[in-house]
Amino acid sequence: MRASSPYRANLLGLAFMTPAMVLLLGFFFLPVVLTSVFAFTNMSTATGISGGSYVVTGNLLRSLTDEGLDAKTIDALGQSSYVIDQAGLEKARAAGVDAKFIAEIAERLKDRSFTSSSAFERELKTLPSRPTRIRDLKIAAGAFEQSVLNVRYASRGEMEAALSHMLENPPEGAIEKIATASYTGWTWTTDNFKNLAIAPDTWRIIGNTVFYVVLTLAFNVFVGLFLAITTFYLPPAGSGFFSVLWLLPRITPVVLYAVMWKWFTWEDGFVFNIAQDLGLPAFNYMKGSVASAWTVVILVNGFVGASFGMILFSGALKAILVQQLWASEVDGASRWQQIRYIILPQMRWPILFVTSYQTLSLLSSYEQIWLTTNGGPGSTTTIWALEAFKTALNNYTGNLQYGLGAAMALVLVAVGLVLSIVYLRLFRFDEMMSKPKIEF
Amino acid sequence: MQISIRNFTKTFDTTTVIDDMNLTIRDGEMLALLGPSGCGKSTTLFTISGIHRMDKGQLMFGDRDVSGLPSQKRNVGVVFQNYALYPHMNVFENIAFPLTVRKDAKADIDREVRAIAALTHISELLERRPGQLSGGQQQRVALARALVRKPDVLLLDEPLANLDAKLRLEMRSEIRRIQLETGITAVLVTHDQVEAMSMCDRIAIMKKGEIVQIDTPADMYSNPRTSFVAGFLGNPPISFLSGIAMDSAFSIAPIKLRVPLGSRQGIADGTQLKLGIRPEHFGPEGDIAVQGRIAFAETQGRENLYDVALADGSVLRSIQPAGKIWAVGEPVRWHIDSKSVFVFTDDGQRL
Repeated sequence: MRASSPYRANLLGLAFMTPAMVLLLGFFFLPVVLTSVFAFTNMSTATGISGGSYVVTGNLLRSLTDEGLDAKTIDALGQSSYVIDQAGLEKARAAGVDAKFIAEIAERLKDRSFTSSSAFERELKTLPSRPTRIRDLKIAAGAFEQSVLNVRYASRGEMEAALSHMLENPPEGAIEKIATASYTGWTWTTDNFKNLAIAPDTWRIIGNTVFYVVLTLAFNVFVGLFLAITTFYLPPAGSGFFSVLWLLPRITPVVLYAVMWKWFTWEDGFVFNIAQDLGLPAFNYMKGSVASAWTVVILVNGFVGASFGMILFSGALKAILVQQLWASEVDGASRWQQIRYIILPQMRWPILFVTSYQTLSLLSSYEQIWLTTNGGPGSTTTIWALEAFKTALNNYTGNLQYGLGAAMALVLVAVGLVLSIVYLRLFRFDEMMSKPKIEF
Repeated sequence: MQISIRNFTKTFDTTTVIDDMNLTIRDGEMLALLGPSGCGKSTTLFTISGIHRMDKGQLMFGDRDVSGLPSQKRNVGVVFQNYALYPHMNVFENIAFPLTVRKDAKADIDREVRAIAALTHISELLERRPGQLSGGQQQRVALARALVRKPDVLLLDEPLANLDAKLRLEMRSEIRRIQLETGITAVLVTHDQVEAMSMCDRIAIMKKGEIVQIDTPADMYSNPRTSFVAGFLGNPPISFLSGIAMDSAFSIAPIKLRVPLGSRQGIADGTQLKLGIRPEHFGPEGDIAVQGRIAFAETQGRENLYDVALADGSVLRSIQPAGKIWAVGEPVRWHIDSKSVFVFTDDGQRL
């Protein structure tokens, strides 16, 4: 009995942990794992997310040229040839070509080949049973055409066979290279990260993101603190009213909130009309200039976070013993000295918490920007999360680059993890975690 | 410095807590505001400190009218019941705080803090945080902080309430020692009559926002003005008997008890009276015999406490030196010392 009791305790602990583990797996690990997987593929709308086939297209020929495949091979790939073989005869029959004419082709031209359609057609015209109409002649000629261009092969083997049939003396490795390049499905690749590292936009977007996070965070913390402290000194009725007022941005549905900002800042909007009456520059502030667009973006997000900060800071303020405030007044501290020496030092943890929590959520939030400036004007207010979202899920051109978007998201996850570890160190999380009070 | 409160009225919302109170605290004395909870003693203290403002009345520090001044400008030192130490500052910073906000020179602050720390015997704790101190040590820090800027008056709000019994005894004499050494005028708020009697020069007993009696502890004990005062001071407490005046005596006819009223003359026969008998004035010795039965006995070591139930159900308390022990249920015929009893009217006024 004695031996079994610690074992049972462990099982009970595990049972308590299970819901948390399931949630963690389902909502954190799984998305991160999937993101990591997608990040190392070139998945997009074009490739699809299931498998593909092997096709040599005109575009592929151009890109192969760019990659330095020799001109002779490229030329050969682009060429068609005409071979009178059994397969061609079958095809012609299926295309409804006159049986007599087919028989003549089989008899006179069997196993001959032509390198151009004009030569083949000239030869066909010499046959007695040739069709009178040019169109019928072209259909008959087409049945014997052999080309890899725009032909879909289900497997790599078929594509390679077709290529070796087409190409005479191809350069070393050319067939493998072309076959690989002709695959239309997704493949594993690290190109997403390489491309991100060299793309000139990357650094601009990183700059935007840092600018956005730092300024919005500063707004959150300072306005949140300011509101908490001012409402703290207000009589209860007044402070209650103001608290609710400042909560509106947080409790309003995000789409409605964005629409309200549009009414507020667009042409003929609230600010627009006031500015016009005052003779100040009036334009669409949300999208009209970079400075005003940034102002709107930071305010839109800032007010949401400020109310969050206010709630937390208000709670922390109420936890300060009123006797400490009385004592400081009796000790001769002015209101400002009271805030500076008594209140703010005791707000250290809530401030640090709001800072860390908001950094992480601002890094990954894009919906307010998407709904207001949509990253504009140009891409001046585009942040990393918005760019990732647009790349992967909401692309204007319609080619959604899941792989690249996932790579961008993975970068965010990595940054978030690093920051979390830094913040947990700052919080001394291990000290906050004490042993369970109840023994099993 | 002499502190005087004149015609002080304080109202919270619609409740008048204190109505037209007058109180003078003499220079250098330690005065206790003693009373049950809710009697307005803390309100009075916080009004002197400026944390609460007066609705009506005048507050004088010496010749200076401070009624309208905020607490920052009053120069008072307050020790709060929970000490209200600043948890993020160490002991030195806590004590130095009143001087820091006054922007005194660093060297002066250092000298003052060390001097007051020596007085309160906490010199070796200056680097610690409040969370690392025991209750008694926190109490000393709070006291040092209140005293460091040499306030006109030291206000103590139930300073011993959060200490254990042994520390309470120790801090009782410590606070008194420091008060005497500094010669500061002090006001102590407490609901514990032992604290008030042992620490203070004078006691003001409060009830429902009024000062019932203000006197030295000895006078207050031996000469209470009302039955409330008599009941509040003394441990074990005084016991009361209800009866009527009859032939110049306090009388309870059913049990044939007669206590002569002595010099208290002119009380009409039939007047309802209350007789207050302290436990030390009821026992085997005395002049007025009472038949009763031991209803409760408590051994305290040096002495024993007894409750004696009389035939009509009323109870008299007695305190007797250890030695002979009476058992619960034992019938006794004990005596009241009639010269030491207090006689009150039915509404509590002393006769």
